Amino acid sequence: MFLYYVDLAWRSIRKTPFLSLLMVLAISIGIGITITTLNVYKMMSFNPAGERSTQIHSVQLWSQGPDSWDEFDVNRTYQDVINLRSANLAQRQAAAFRTGMALQSDDESIAPVLQSIRVTDSDFFGIFSVPFLYGSAWEASVDTEPAYQVVIGEKLNRTFFKGENSVGRTVYLNRKPYQVVGVIKEWNPQPKYYDPTNGAFNDAEEIFVPFSLTPIEEFEVWGNTNGWKFEPMLTYNDRLISEKAWIQYWVELQGKEQIDAYSDYLAGYVEQQQALGRFTDPKQPRDKQRLVDIAAWLAQNNVVAEDNKVLVGLSVLFLSVCLVNILGLLLTKFLKRAPEVGVRRAIGASRAQIFAQYMVEVGSIGLLGGVLGLLWAVGALQILSARFDIADGLTRLDLSMWLITPMIAISTAVIAGLYPAWVVCRTKPSVYLKSQ
Amino acid sequence: MLSMRNISKVFKTDLVETHALRDFNLEVNEGEFVAVTGPSGSGKTTFLNIAGMLEGFTHGEYLLDGVDVSNLSDNKSAAVRNEKIGFIFQGFNLIPDLNLAENVEVPLRYRGIKAAERRRRVEQALEQVGLGARMKHLPTQLSGGQQQRVAIARALAGEPRFLLADEPTGNLDSLMARQVMELLEKINQAGTTIVMVTHDPELARRAQRNIQIVDGQVCDFAASGLGQQQGLRQDQELTPLADLAADFAAKAKASA
Repeated sequence: MFLYYVDLAWRSIRKTPFLSLLMVLAISIGIGITITTLNVYKMMSFNPAGERSTQIHSVQLWSQGPDSWDEFDVNRTYQDVINLRSANLAQRQAAAFRTGMALQSDDESIAPVLQSIRVTDSDFFGIFSVPFLYGSAWEASVDTEPAYQVVIGEKLNRTFFKGENSVGRTVYLNRKPYQVVGVIKEWNPQPKYYDPTNGAFNDAEEIFVPFSLTPIEEFEVWGNTNGWKFEPMLTYNDRLISEKAWIQYWVELQGKEQIDAYSDYLAGYVEQQQALGRFTDPKQPRDKQRLVDIAAWLAQNNVVAEDNKVLVGLSVLFLSVCLVNILGLLLTKFLKRAPEVGVRRAIGASRAQIFAQYMVEVGSIGLLGGVLGLLWAVGALQILSARFDIADGLTRLDLSMWLITPMIAISTAVIAGLYPAWVVCRTKPSVYLKSQ
Repeated sequence: MLSMRNISKVFKTDLVETHALRDFNLEVNEGEFVAVTGPSGSGKTTFLNIAGMLEGFTHGEYLLDGVDVSNLSDNKSAAVRNEKIGFIFQGFNLIPDLNLAENVEVPLRYRGIKAAERRRRVEQALEQVGLGARMKHLPTQLSGGQQQRVAIARALAGEPRFLLADEPTGNLDSLMARQVMELLEKINQAGTTIVMVTHDPELARRAQRNIQIVDGQVCDFAASGLGQQQGLRQDQELTPLADLAADFAAKAKASA
């Protein structure tokens, strides 16, 4: 019977093309807007860490003094990072911040470019599951014994080394030679969860250098530096010994036991620092330290802005308005066909069969609306991409959206069609048989 | 085949109660051709709707083929209508978007008959009414008489045992009406029980039995088929209005 109902649905749609077009348009516009906002929302709220989300933790300390802000800072001071690194208690651990330098290769035909660079430890690549095309991260020993080594991205490797295995080759950062030890496969987590404060939807860096070079090379900080008191910064060393927080500190911990053990260690560290006259904020909470996993970290950094949530709500509201309009149109269309329903009922159709017939019809209208809505959504995302400075990742229609859109559209149409179909299937056949 | 005992049908609104049928009794035997006549508003169509299970009734008992169909679920009612009853309406009631073959196969679709068997029955039914060559035509491409023949083919395709016809010739000229009537007679001769509502005394006379409905009751007691079986007196059932109608019926019989 289903195919029969589909056949009847198409005949009905063709019979009233204008009314059908109005309904398809109403659904498609509602769906187009909803899917556009939902897509952006979904891409923003995606957790790229997946199953490892609960294993990767940002280490956060209430390290400020009096008259400071009332929340945990996402960054750590250099001196805290050095202390935590030297304890070396986590399964993996990595400090990280963003800098920028002029990049060159031996090939003089390639002009130097100012490049965004991540300064980090060797464990960073393991913590964030960075895939390697050639070579690997620098040895762990480089984290304590600085060496001019670098990991580069696949795209940069194509530009500088024509995609060949460049391990052992040299690139120049601010004219200093760095030896390539690894080339990572194209890797661009969206959102860029390891550093959302520097543009949650910016591309991942193409160059990674050892954190241990920081005091030697005095890397500039291309990111937030938070301070709660005035401290003169005349030299780079002033920054290193200051209470300014500018470095993220990540640890990988497996299971509750490791998390509890590391939390205890942090509590002890805080007490020790307080004894040394640091962390003096009287407003500090009971636990002055915390480990924030990736899901909580993304929320803490407001990766999905409130505006975006409101926008999703508004688009769903708009879809509801479309649904009410469709309901009215369907009621008109179906009641016009009540005499036909009367005939069908008289010659043996049950109410359930009539109901099913009309549900298939609204489902077909929904499907058409969904397909058109998908095109609207793709178009809208293209326009957003072209007119505004929005990351590519946000304006690409997610695969799941391609699949879910027809479902939403059909469900919307079916919800709108429930009442009209119910009304028409309750029609008393005898009323229409005489009057036809 | 059909047995209605003390059927009442009351239509209620906030202001009025209309008794469309009151203590309505009727027996129709298998293979009979019964004509139902009566003045407008007498309850003929209500009777037909109840007989066809298109409408419920307020009181009474209705047995179709020996089965009490008073309280069947909607699904079961639909199945009984589909399998046992064929309908022919005054306004033909063909579905305008479907061609003749598709119109005729509608009841077969709801019965879940397979495509090959449907095709065979549709062809046979349309051949039977002389429209086998016009299967792909739309109803609007046919004359009124032809449309009514398609409606008859639709009713026949389901091979019903019981055919209900509501003024089947009401919208046709006399020639067409005669053709349709001949077709119905042929169908009856093949064994199908027919109950036909008509205003036309000429057509009514061609039926084996005439039922006169007046004021919601069968006024020709003998025609109801119940009197002798139950041993009731005719004067117990007749109302003053029914007397007049009985007189009318007697005259109609005499002129036949």
